[in-house]
Amino acid sequence: MTSVVATTNKNSNASLVYAFLYKLVEVFTEYFKELEEESIQDNFVVVYELLDELMDFGFPQTTDSKILQEYITQQGNKLEVAKTKVPTTVTNAVSWRSEGIKYKKNEVFIDVIESINVLVNANGSVMSSDIVGCIKLKTMLSGMPELRLGLNDRDKGKTVAMEDVKFHQCVRLSRFESDRTISFIPPDGESELMSYRINTHVKPLIWIESVIEKFSHSRVEIMVKAKGQFKKQSVANNVEIRVPVPSDADSPKFKTSTGHAKYVPEKNLVVWSIKSFPGGKEFLMRAHFGLPSVETDEMEGKPPITVKFEIPYFTVSGIQVRYMKIIEKSGYQALPWVRYITQSGDYQLRTNS
Amino acid sequence: MSFPSLPEEKRQAPEEPTMPYFGSEETVKELKRALSNPNVQADRLRYKNYITKVIRYMTQGLDVSALFMDMVKASATVDIVQKKLVYLYMCTYASDKPDLALLAINTLRKDCADPNPMNISLINMNLLYLHAPNDTLPFICLFFRMPGMTEYIEQPIVAGLRDKASYVRRVAVLGCAKMHSLQPNTEIDGSIVNELYALLRDPDPVVVVNCLRALEEILKDEGGVVINKPIAHHLLNRMKDLDSWAQSEVLTFLLRYRPRSDDELFDILSLLDAFLQSAHAHVAVATLRLFLHLASAHPAVQADALLRTSAPLLATCGAGSRELRFAGLCHVQQVMRSQPGLFGTHYKRFFCGYSEPSYIKFRKMEILVELVNDENVALVLEELRSYCTDVSPELAQAAIAAIGRIARTYSEKCLDILTGLLALKQDHITSAVIQTFRDLVWFCPQSTAAVCQTVEACVDSPQDSEGKQALLWLLGEHGDQISSAPYVMEGYIDGLKTELSSAVKMELLTAAVKMFLCRPAETQDMLGRLLHYCIEEESDMCVRDRALLYYRLLQRGVEETRKVVTGPKSDPSMSVLTGRQEEPISQWASTFNTLGPLSGRDLCLQAAVISATDQPSDSAEKELLPGSKEVLISGPDDTEEEISLSLGPPLSHETFEKMWLDLEILHRQTLGFPRPRTAPDTLQAALQLVKIQTLAFTPGDTVPWKAYIYTRSTGTLILAELLQGDPQPPGSDESLVVSVKQQPVNQHAIKGFVSILKSVLQTLNVDSL
Repeated sequence: MTSVVATTNKNSNASLVYAFLYKLVEVFTEYFKELEEESIQDNFVVVYELLDELMDFGFPQTTDSKILQEYITQQGNKLEVAKTKVPTTVTNAVSWRSEGIKYKKNEVFIDVIESINVLVNANGSVMSSDIVGCIKLKTMLSGMPELRLGLNDRDKGKTVAMEDVKFHQCVRLSRFESDRTISFIPPDGESELMSYRINTHVKPLIWIESVIEKFSHSRVEIMVKAKGQFKKQSVANNVEIRVPVPSDADSPKFKTSTGHAKYVPEKNLVVWSIKSFPGGKEFLMRAHFGLPSVETDEMEGKPPITVKFEIPYFTVSGIQVRYMKIIEKSGYQALPWVRYITQSGDYQLRTNS
Repeated sequence: MSFPSLPEEKRQAPEEPTMPYFGSEETVKELKRALSNPNVQADRLRYKNYITKVIRYMTQGLDVSALFMDMVKASATVDIVQKKLVYLYMCTYASDKPDLALLAINTLRKDCADPNPMNISLINMNLLYLHAPNDTLPFICLFFRMPGMTEYIEQPIVAGLRDKASYVRRVAVLGCAKMHSLQPNTEIDGSIVNELYALLRDPDPVVVVNCLRALEEILKDEGGVVINKPIAHHLLNRMKDLDSWAQSEVLTFLLRYRPRSDDELFDILSLLDAFLQSAHAHVAVATLRLFLHLASAHPAVQADALLRTSAPLLATCGAGSRELRFAGLCHVQQVMRSQPGLFGTHYKRFFCGYSEPSYIKFRKMEILVELVNDENVALVLEELRSYCTDVSPELAQAAIAAIGRIARTYSEKCLDILTGLLALKQDHITSAVIQTFRDLVWFCPQSTAAVCQTVEACVDSPQDSEGKQALLWLLGEHGDQISSAPYVMEGYIDGLKTELSSAVKMELLTAAVKMFLCRPAETQDMLGRLLHYCIEEESDMCVRDRALLYYRLLQRGVEETRKVVTGPKSDPSMSVLTGRQEEPISQWASTFNTLGPLSGRDLCLQAAVISATDQPSDSAEKELLPGSKEVLISGPDDTEEEISLSLGPPLSHETFEKMWLDLEILHRQTLGFPRPRTAPDTLQAALQLVKIQTLAFTPGDTVPWKAYIYTRSTGTLILAELLQGDPQPPGSDESLVVSVKQQPVNQHAIKGFVSILKSVLQTLNVDSL
């Protein structure tokens, strides 16, 4: 466990302090992949340099990791003309994009990703569900392009009520407020253009019913049924259904109608993996565990069943990109590519045992 | 995202011993040899690697100060990273080697004046130049503790303020604050302050905000940076250019500004509108705080702002980071104090996730209790019921207590759940349920019969002392409705010798006496045994005294005892108090979005030393008189506004004397500490600092010691006399007495004045120790 701690001698803005610490962790993680004692020790020169830029005298300064990467690299800077060009972005009017970017082929990739959060209680009623969506861009465009993104949220008959819409700082909010056009100069490379939340009642895309019977001192019998509650044409990939088992269970036996089940003793779980799960289909898994005759006194919690999956070419909210216009003064033609994916977020189904 | 990979030699595990303290001398010698080796010096990469090694040892705690000269030499380089490392080294050891460090200063000064930026365009300006002030400043600052070094630091910083490169200006601006913080007692340099105020108009947004931050630090003692109308409007117009951190801070600074008219107010609010929906939670809440503050006279605007911020606030409550989620929940709780209905429909967002830490679950349960209504009560209770069997006993007990709170409104449903929980036969659950029953019976007497029935049927008795006390209270108070009560109590009396908790014994005594009053035949014998044991054998004096008290009381007769011991069996009026009561927004708006709500304490009171009004006593008064809150806060200006003193034109001795003789003493108070033993100048200066003017005082150790002071505050003139009486034997606490006269009368101002006076004198006392 690595902890990052801040101290303050004022009654400061609480959420700002936390947000800054998380930003710090984010920046370090982008540099070192993993943030832990070892990576800090190994990279203390860069850590020192980064901290120096991230804050000064306790005040946040440049925290955008894209900009930092332009002048703090892990190689360290040498005073050579080519490398020591001051990043214009530090002081630019468009602070999120440098000038003079060039690509041979101008493309922009748009990912619409929706995560479903579901909480189902033990008797099968959906306690809460919502969709958290975001639109990510990978921009490979030359110069200072002007982009305009059209979504189907204003189409007639459509009622995609987005709540809590948040944009990247590049989006002109005034335009969005007046005519809901999303217009912006994109940051180079990968970025998150917008995020939203939809608080409608969604049918859980993968429905789980389970019976877990525990016969003290002898065995546990687990029966799990999974059903794909989405369109037949769609397929959920890499489905993982994680079923909790008592910590003192032993000698597992499984039977599945598809995919394969595996016991992960260090996490007290059975993981049932299904590579491809078509909509409308139903699958079953049975598991049998032995229990020791002498039970531990320790109380055990009742962890829920959790599910992971992703369904490509599909957004559960029905959000779609209508168009993406790209205008640059040099007049090049650029291609937008769109991809949709729906995935599991915090997807929990409580069990009875 | 891919980054250039690490150079090979950095990736290897360090070949050095991992225990830095062993063989340190050898290591230092070796490094010294290497650093002074001309071959190494010629090879840039090798040289730098050795410097990196020195720093690594330094950060591990090895004393590498012997290498100081070699490291100073290494600072003369064009390699920025190497330079930075050497500065880091110098900062660490400069105080140990002041004479050597002095030598290094020349290198640094050269850095500050390095390449001429005029020759290079902004874009090609090299990083060395950009970074130099940033790194050299902390280093030079170390030398501040030595006399005659001021010019070394001031000159590059002042030059930096006017630099063409905004990066340099950013650093230089904060440099001013650092300079000030290193020599806090020197006079504030007016020209720098003016320059910083001018730089608020800088085109670079970070420079603007850094100016605010620096001015705030430098002018700390004068109340911080002044936000007047032009500055406020300028900042508002620049808001959209700022990054989220800066936006948050500017919004906080703007709290100081009061618009002159409603028109101006609404212009400002419409400018801020977009920030209520900021993608950054901390900006959204900072905006909300400013909204609430500015619109304090327009409740409808406040309510609208709260409504629109509810979505981002809720989003924060589901944030990926636990800490932010916690902060969000605390803020939601604050908002709910005034607008309990705001989050009603979103109650499901406060259901606990399995893996959430308990500090979040506790908050969520508190919120759920507040959000219960006729529609959602079934689902909320079902959810809370599932927490009652949580692995963590604390959490389970909190969930049970939460159900108990809801039971005050929906008693039937909750009693079913609570009774069901008893069947689980878990000690901690049983105990919590019994405690909940006790509170429930007290708050809503209509549930008494059902509770007594359940208690009667409950075979398990609680094992912890809180649970035992609760059960005993129920038995004593409602023994007439629990037929088995005497027998249960007898069990406790028989097991008295093994009971460890005095609190349980006291409760047992009270309960037994009460029971005796309603069921004398069954209880008399055991009560006798109990009193006998407690008086003759009990070692805890409190228990013994309590037993004696009851014994003597019983000697006075049963009716006499009944009069003393029995009181009302419940207090239904209490449930009105504990239920939802909408507070005015101003009650919490001042601590909104600060650390206060997170720690559960009102940090504001501690923070403001000088501007503190006597709030604690104020709030104590309010607590004593529940329900009369509205009356006490008659004029919002009275209690809400902090009083501020001002100097105004000086009074002549004659005027003062005349007024002093004419006016009555309005307030006299013993301050509880002696007069500060500081030089007269210091006293005068300190008082002046908090805007209190000194007219005259008796010199030195004259007895009695007197001082006459005066000040002005919101249209009233305050005159005061400080008096310290006859000498006492040394070491005694001779206290200072302050007498206050005023024209025109304003009690609030007097209160504020005395509190300011107290804090300044106390500060002086601390200093002179």
